[in-house]
Amino acid sequence: MSAIVGAERPQVVSHVQQALSYTVFDCKWVPRSARLLCLGSAARGTGIVQLYELHGARLELLREIEKPKPIKCGTFGATSLQQRYLATGDFDGNLNIWNLEAPEIPVYSVKGHKEIINSIDGVGGLGIGEGAPEIVTGSRDGTVKVWDPRQNDTPVASMEPVQGESKRDCWTVAFGNAYNQEERVVCAGYDNGDIKLFDLKTMSLRWETNIKNGVCSVEFDRKDINMNKLVATSLEGKFHVFDLRTQHPTKGFASVSEKAQKSTIWQVRHLPQNRDIFMTSGGSGSLHLWKYEYPAQRSKKDSEGSEMGVAGSVSLLQNVTLSTQPISSLDWSPDKKGLCVCGAFDQTVRVLIVTKLNKI
Amino acid sequence: MPVWLREHSWRQTLTAVYLSLPLRGARASPSSIFCSEQYLKVSIPPFLFEAVLYAPIDDTNSTAKIGNGNIFFTLYKKEPAMWDSLTLANTDKEKLQYLRENAVLKAQEKAKEETEARKITKQEHKKYALEATMKVEEAERKRIEDLKEKERQKVVKELELWKNQQKHGDKYKSIQKKGELYQEIEPLKERKNEKMNKTRIPNEGTSKTRLKSTKGSCSIFSQNLKEEQLPAPRAAATIKVNFTPRVFPTALRESRVAEEEEWLHKQAEARRIINSDLSELEDLKEEEKNPDWLKDKGNKMFAMGDYLGAVNAYNLAVRLNNSLPLLYLNRAACHLKLRNLHKAIEDSSKALELLTPPVPDNENARVKAHVRRGTAFCQLELYTEGLQDYEAALKIDPRNKNIEKDAEKIRHLIQGTMQIS
Repeated sequence: MSAIVGAERPQVVSHVQQALSYTVFDCKWVPRSARLLCLGSAARGTGIVQLYELHGARLELLREIEKPKPIKCGTFGATSLQQRYLATGDFDGNLNIWNLEAPEIPVYSVKGHKEIINSIDGVGGLGIGEGAPEIVTGSRDGTVKVWDPRQNDTPVASMEPVQGESKRDCWTVAFGNAYNQEERVVCAGYDNGDIKLFDLKTMSLRWETNIKNGVCSVEFDRKDINMNKLVATSLEGKFHVFDLRTQHPTKGFASVSEKAQKSTIWQVRHLPQNRDIFMTSGGSGSLHLWKYEYPAQRSKKDSEGSEMGVAGSVSLLQNVTLSTQPISSLDWSPDKKGLCVCGAFDQTVRVLIVTKLNKI
Repeated sequence: MPVWLREHSWRQTLTAVYLSLPLRGARASPSSIFCSEQYLKVSIPPFLFEAVLYAPIDDTNSTAKIGNGNIFFTLYKKEPAMWDSLTLANTDKEKLQYLRENAVLKAQEKAKEETEARKITKQEHKKYALEATMKVEEAERKRIEDLKEKERQKVVKELELWKNQQKHGDKYKSIQKKGELYQEIEPLKERKNEKMNKTRIPNEGTSKTRLKSTKGSCSIFSQNLKEEQLPAPRAAATIKVNFTPRVFPTALRESRVAEEEEWLHKQAEARRIINSDLSELEDLKEEEKNPDWLKDKGNKMFAMGDYLGAVNAYNLAVRLNNSLPLLYLNRAACHLKLRNLHKAIEDSSKALELLTPPVPDNENARVKAHVRRGTAFCQLELYTEGLQDYEAALKIDPRNKNIEKDAEKIRHLIQGTMQIS
């Protein structure tokens, strides 16, 4: 646990800033390239997908695709590296998978939900992990559905409210624990503070908790390993880091929470090259870079002799304010360590470089 | 009348005039000398010396030296010329007056100009100081910016390098892909069928290794083989979910929880009131659920002498709306008539509570409340408390004779009892 001296702290350098003419909801790096995608909604109510390439100190627009419905979220998680198809969720509840070379007709399309798809995640593609490629979508209609691109029209798993129960908006979903072909876990966060962990192998609810504030974003530190850590961010500037290696029968998972700022924390993203470093983006236009430190002992026995997890600690490495509007989307480049893109509600997308990550 | 000083002596050169003025013992100070372009005056009460000069002088540069009982003037002429005399001859009173005034005005203007000039220089000095500090800060900022810029450029270079690597890698891959695609499509199909048969073997593990070992040089083959290795889509299933209950459709925020609780509490209260009546008094007509209507009914019954009926009406009204002070006030009056003195006291107290803040609008009501409570106290023989209420009533409305009379009576009673005991 070495203290990081001022000169050695990672710096967040703003490399390129691009003004857009539409509201950007999600931005993603195209794997194995210096290209990035921006997904959003134009003022006239249509969806926009723009493909940019990083050229020196500017972004060059390679392609712009317009779709009838505004697009909220997208992922490359479930495609192979050769195909690199983009899966998107839009405001109407449609899940589409596009081939960006031929974007007129989607490769896969289904009206998955009755209301906007708030969040999407994919697993099994990009050469990461094993098992079938699957896509999970979480929607305002309170359901979380898992799709297989090889099966049309019906989801392979669906997490719905019990009959007669009033629904809560699902704001975020994430895959995890996909370390072999059978195991897979979906974590969903809702607007009433519920976090639920669904096990897809046993098709059951594995764990749930309530963090007292609406859950804006959840992410496992790595999707393709035995589930290790989960970060959940919420309204009111709080985020929780859960240690998932030890599950206590009644107390669930151990966690540490941190209040970073007064505003909503919109996104959390782990550095693909180092699973203990993550960045949170806030409603005040700021980005915070955090490092998680493991405790001396990750589990201990409680009074009855059952194993209980011990949460570690989180330290702030750096923070920077880039915008006055919330930064709603964040993505690390899987190919270059420290390169990330963020999109904010001031209609700009920024490419940032975080330096000195090797020294952490 | 001032004493004129006339024993002055002077001499001149082409450019200057030297004037010596003995002071006859008077003490001179710089303020006693007044000089303008063409007018010179020395005034040390009661002595006075004035001279309208022959030609204009440069009064800013001219000097006066005070010492040794006289003043020595060195006056520099504006135009180098020899003067016929020190002063102008033929100066009549008016001209003199005019010259004097002019001189005074000119002196004032000069003074003004000087102060302004001083102000301006002061401002300039300030500006200069400010600019200097700004420059220093700018330099500091620039230094930091430069550091950042250097760092950025270093990083950008690395990025470009990496990007070029990617590009070359990509190009190579795409060329390879295209080439192989065209060549290998037919044999691919054949091999695919072969592999299909092999995968039907139950032990997936060994089939995997076998497939791997037969991997050809072509990367596409291994990809397609991998596709065969993927498990079939999951069997569809549904998981039923229960949510932590929440009344509001909005998202949960910790900071709002207190407000929400309060709101719910109030809603529950309101519902309770309505429900309690609904359950018992379903056969009541619409108007009978209106507290105001019930109050009027109560008032009418009171007027007719039906005190119990009035109390009932007021009770019902209170159950529907427990924050109308008039209901309690009127009910107190009924209780007084019914000689339920404790209840009367309670009701008038409640009415007074509800009648805060004390404003002119509710004066009448407060007077009545105090009077009723006072009456009740007296009838319970708690005369001191009763007097307190009467006096409060008097304070609000000092002109009411009845209250005064009653207050007097109570005072007498108290004094009477004190005498006895």
